[in-house]
This record gives sequence, C-alpha cells and structure tokens, in this order.
Amino acid sequence: MSKLIVDELITQTANRLFSEICSHEAIQNAETVGEAPEIWAAYTETGFPWISIDENLGGSGGTLLDALEVLRLVGYYAVPVPAAETGILGGWLLSEAGFQVPEGIVTVLPDQGPDLAIEVDGSQVSITGSAIRVPWARSAEIIAILFHDNGNNYVASVQASDCAITPMTNMAGEPRDTVRFDGVVCSYAEVSKAIDSQSFRFRGALSRVALMAGAIEKMSQMTVSYTNDRVQFGRPVARFQAVQQHLVWAAQDAALSRMAAESAAIEATRGNGAFEIASAKLIANQAASRATKACHQAHGAMGMTQEYPLHHYSRRLWSWRKEYGGDAEWSQWIGQLAVAQGADGLYPLITGGSRVL
Amino acid sequence: MRFNPTELSSSELALQTEVRQFLKTELAPGTHEPCLGMAARKDKSFSMKMAERGWVGMALPKAWGGSDRTAVDRFIVVEEMLRWGAPVGHHWVADRQTGSVILKFGTDEQRKRFLPAICRGELGFSIGMSEPDSGSDLASVSTRAERATGGWLINGTKIWTSGAHENDWFVCLLRTSAMEDGNKHAGLSQILIDLQSDGLEISPIPFLDGSHHFNEVTFNDVFVPDENVVGDVGMGWHQNTTEMAYERGGPDRWLSPFSTIEQLLREAKDTPLEQSVQSLFGELIARYWGIRNLSLSVARLIDSGEAPSIESSLVKEMGTRFEQEVIEKLVQLIELEYSPDSHSLFERMLSQCIVTFPGNTIRGGTIEILRSVAAKGLQGLPV
Repeated sequence: MSKLIVDELITQTANRLFSEICSHEAIQNAETVGEAPEIWAAYTETGFPWISIDENLGGSGGTLLDALEVLRLVGYYAVPVPAAETGILGGWLLSEAGFQVPEGIVTVLPDQGPDLAIEVDGSQVSITGSAIRVPWARSAEIIAILFHDNGNNYVASVQASDCAITPMTNMAGEPRDTVRFDGVVCSYAEVSKAIDSQSFRFRGALSRVALMAGAIEKMSQMTVSYTNDRVQFGRPVARFQAVQQHLVWAAQDAALSRMAAESAAIEATRGNGAFEIASAKLIANQAASRATKACHQAHGAMGMTQEYPLHHYSRRLWSWRKEYGGDAEWSQWIGQLAVAQGADGLYPLITGGSRVL
Repeated sequence: MRFNPTELSSSELALQTEVRQFLKTELAPGTHEPCLGMAARKDKSFSMKMAERGWVGMALPKAWGGSDRTAVDRFIVVEEMLRWGAPVGHHWVADRQTGSVILKFGTDEQRKRFLPAICRGELGFSIGMSEPDSGSDLASVSTRAERATGGWLINGTKIWTSGAHENDWFVCLLRTSAMEDGNKHAGLSQILIDLQSDGLEISPIPFLDGSHHFNEVTFNDVFVPDENVVGDVGMGWHQNTTEMAYERGGPDRWLSPFSTIEQLLREAKDTPLEQSVQSLFGELIARYWGIRNLSLSVARLIDSGEAPSIESSLVKEMGTRFEQEVIEKLVQLIELEYSPDSHSLFERMLSQCIVTFPGNTIRGGTIEILRSVAAKGLQGLPV
C-alpha cells in the first residue's frame, strides 16, 4: 500500500506566510475592497496556486494531497484569495484539457452554468447566457467552463474580460459574482470521459472540505484562548463547566472534520474517493453548524462584533457549508450508496470506503 | 491534540478478514440475537473459541499466554465483535483491563495464576469501584481493607457491580489507610477478591426493565490473603487511573447501536426505504466513518508509544452521545410502535436500545466528568 504523505515543507511555508500576510485587518480590508491583490501576489510567489498541476503546463507539480493541505491552511487563516478556483478546480480543468495555466486568477462556474448555451463552431465555441455565484470573477483572467457535447466532455477557456461581471458576495463577503456571456467566443479542448459534471462537483466539495476543516480548527483554538483570558465572577470563564462543554464540542468537531478532510484527500489522491469526499462534506457541513454555534456562544457578545475576528471564520463556514452540496444532497447520495450495499455490506463500506466499491 | 489519519496494513486487513470469516461461521447473520455492544451476553464457550484464535488477552505477552499484539490489532478484533453483536461479555473486563493491570502491577506469582487463564477465555472478572456514596467522586471510596494476620479484612459495600453473580473474580479499589486531609488519592489499593469468599454477599440491583446485570456486593469481614494485593499498597488510585485513560476512545464507545441499524436494513430487504430513511443511513454511515477514523488513530497513537488521554476522552464523549443520537433519529423517522416482545428482531433491538442507552453516557465515567478532563487538556492544564 503506497503511503501518501504531505510534504512537510508545504505546511511550514504556508503557516509562516499566511500568519504574516493575513492579519485581522488585512482580511477585513479584502472584504471591504472586494479583492486583495497584495495577498494574492505574495500567495503566487510561493507557487501555491498551481500545486498538483503538471509543470509542463505551467503548474508547480506536487500531489493533490499537497494542494489540499495548502487549502486547509487557507481556511485556517481565512486567506482572502481564490485558492481553490485557481488551483484544484479551474487550473485542473485547464490542464486536463491541455491548456497552459495562466499567471492570473482562474475561476469556474460552481453550478455548471445551467443557463448557458454553448455552440461548438470548429476550433472555437460561442457562449451565451449567465452564471451566478462565480467566485472572484471580477479579478479573474480566465473562466474555465466544463461542458458536454455529443457524449464527450470539453473545457472552454474564456477570457474574463470578454464577459459582463456584476459583483456579488457570499455571507462572508467573498466575491461570488454574476457573469453574463453575450456570444463570447473562445477556444476549447476535450478532456477525458472521467471528468464530467459529477466528478467536478465532488472535486468542488473536496476543496470546501479542506477549507472548512481549517476554519473550524482555528475557531476552536480561538475559543479556548478567549475563554481562558476572559474573566467573570473572578475566574476565567473556561473554568465553568457549562463553558467547557462548548470548548469540548468545538474541539471534537475540529478533530472530526480535519480527520474527514485528510482521509478524503488521501483517497482522492489515490483514486476517485467518492465515498470519502461525500462523507467528509456532510461531516464538515454538520460540524460547521455545531461548531459555529458553540464558539459564538462561548465568546458571548464579543463574537458578534466586526472588531473581533471570529466572524471571518463563522461566516465563511456558513457560506461554504452550502457550496458544492449541502446536507440534503450528500446524505441522499451516501444513503443510496449505503442502502445498495445491503445489511452485510454496510460495515465493510465504513471500513473499506471507496476501495471496496 | 492531534489525530493522524491512518490506514490498516495488509497484515491488519488479513486479521480483519479472518475475524469476519470466524464470525460468519460462528454467528451467521440472521441466526443469532445480536448484543448491543459491550453490554453483551456472557458466553464462556464463545469466549474460549475466540481465545483459541488468540483473540483474548491480545495485549498480553506470549510468555503469559497472550498473543502480544498491537493496540490496532486489538481494535480490529473488538470492532468486528461489537458491530456483529457478538456475545463477548464473559471475557470483556479481563481482556480489556484486568489482564493489563495484573501484567503491569502484579507479581510474577499473580501473573502465572491469572494471565494464562484469562487468555484461555476462562476467567470472568468484575470491577469494584463505585459505592453508595462514591460515584463520579471515586477517590472518596470508603470500603476498608484492614490489616489481619497474613492478609486483609474487608468491610463495606460496592454497587453497580456488573456480572458479580456470574463472574469468578472481583478487582476492588479499597481504602487501606485512613483518608488524609487534602490527599484523598493516597491510601487506596487494588485487591483481587474471590467472589466465592466467605462473608461476601451478592444481591441484585434490578435494571430498569427488570433484567439482572448490576449487583450490590457487601463485605462482612471478608479475609483476603496478602498475595492478592495488586501492585503497591496505597498506590491503587494511580494504578486505577493509568489503567483506563487511553482505552476510553475504543469501538465500544460508538458501536453499540450498529447491529440495530444493520438489522433495520436486513428486515427492510424487499421494501424500498423512504427517502428520509435512506438519507438517515447516509448521515449515519458518514458519521460512523468519521468517528471510526478518529478512534483508530487513537489506537495507532498508543502503538507509537504516546499517551493520548485528551484524544480518547474527546472520542468517548462524542461517541457515546452519537450512540444516543443514532437511536433518537431512528425513533423520529420510523413510524412504529415497537415492543420488546415483537416478532421483529429489529423492533426488539430498538426497544432495548431505547431503554438501555441513557446509560451509555454514564458508564465508565459520565460525559460531564469527561468534559472537564478534556477541557483541562485543551487548555494545557494537567488532567
């Protein structure tokens, strides 16, 4: 069995860089302005956006597992950049289609643009319609669009400057823009049959799982330290049993979602990891719900202010919980799979996961 | 706090397959009444069959009859037994804790006397900790052992003693010297007591449904020879707490309802499940996958020589609450008025879960106590 391990240097570098560039003020400023070019510049200098993408196509090499470790830390520090979109989502689509990845930001259509009309015309396609909730479209150089035609899968590489972009945000103030395509003409290329809208959705979920695991862990640690510092009735509030319950529950959800994210990352690097990704997203969604509640409660009124940084994490979690599949979608998907195993196959699914399917 | 993802090696997977084969032969699905986790039936012949395979006393060295296996190997065997609902009650306590205590703190004489018999699956042990006035505040126990010629005279009462009416031996935490001011942890000792001893009286404390698991054990001048003291006199508290700290997060803390869920699917075989029930399966299987990964990683930490006491407290607190949540969700979704006498095995199991699971977050240390242990650990305080 091959051992899949994250390159330690990546963890160290990301921790060092993100702790320097992602102060509370810097994150707040990115939200106000709607983008963070200096943070993006520092982020790209390390080559982080393109980890797991072939070096011949402009990538940084490395594994999907390494790329997901960076995303986990992007979540942990609330780094305000389109890390997932440029890398393991958009960069992945482009490189799978044989395109060189650009130097700038790449984004994708999370909902696969159900309202788009895409007409193939020789070596080019013409795209008409609109797409919503497109992350950082306003700052993007390329929008990578996965589409299907005559039983084959293709990726179109659209210049974002050819589109009409209306700035919108998610609950955390992260850019989630509306993009209108008015007969935009661009090049496209075929990708393998395995890269379809379902595998794209799983990959999107995998990216959110990594981000969420990081954010929940950070919130849990902030809550331990805040309740140790905050004194009421003559002692730190963390000494009260009722408060300890919140600390313990948040720490459990941090551990559970990180374990789920890392286990899913390993399986996705080895094979398709569908069971693990689906389970991890459902776990992260539910953990986000419980942990944000516990951490806010333990922070009292302070956690409800813009001045205190808890909201960078809680608002991101409330948004990411719904991106690439909420609780209902994933519990149905796993439920159908689980029930199909029959009674005798139920436990082997838990222990063996994708590898026994 | 750190839980590392871990995977089973090929030899570990081979062990898993072997245990599954054994269970399929011994307890074919649909032919036995599954137990609900660690509160399992006592079946000495089943325990002895497991022992023949080397699956009782796995943590003990070969020299004493054990099989000297890792914590992960033990995890695999325990996990498969519990999810199958196997009757592991007879050897459970000896395998899980008493064997290790005797190995670690006992004399060679005691090791020779008890360990091989434990590893053959012969001996059943009870544990004597709680008393009428000492529950969560365990160090306040007051059952006394006083010096007598060649041994000790014991007086007092232990309660909630599972299986004392069926087991052979009793490992008790007793006060061997008076409580000192400010240090109630001193002066306690662990002593092995033959449950057939003169002056020892066992009376049932019926469980809420009338069944008999718990007992009250009363000592009236029960004589125990010196050779039955485990470890050093006065060091019982220390021995008792190190004994259990890392075992807390094992499969017994989250698998209790599994055989019931599985049975629901088995009985539903020909009827398609409603969407809501199917989604519940999705949620439960995902959570099981996640919790199992945490629990397995604790076993791996133990094998790498670490002392994961915060990690195991977190897993136990979460796992036992999850067990109750599983049953609550089944109750919410499934429109049945189940009966403990139903012809449906699923209904019988579900009824039993409902009446017994409130105890899951109490037994072996309440979740309230676990939370304060874990919270201190999270804050970097001594636990």
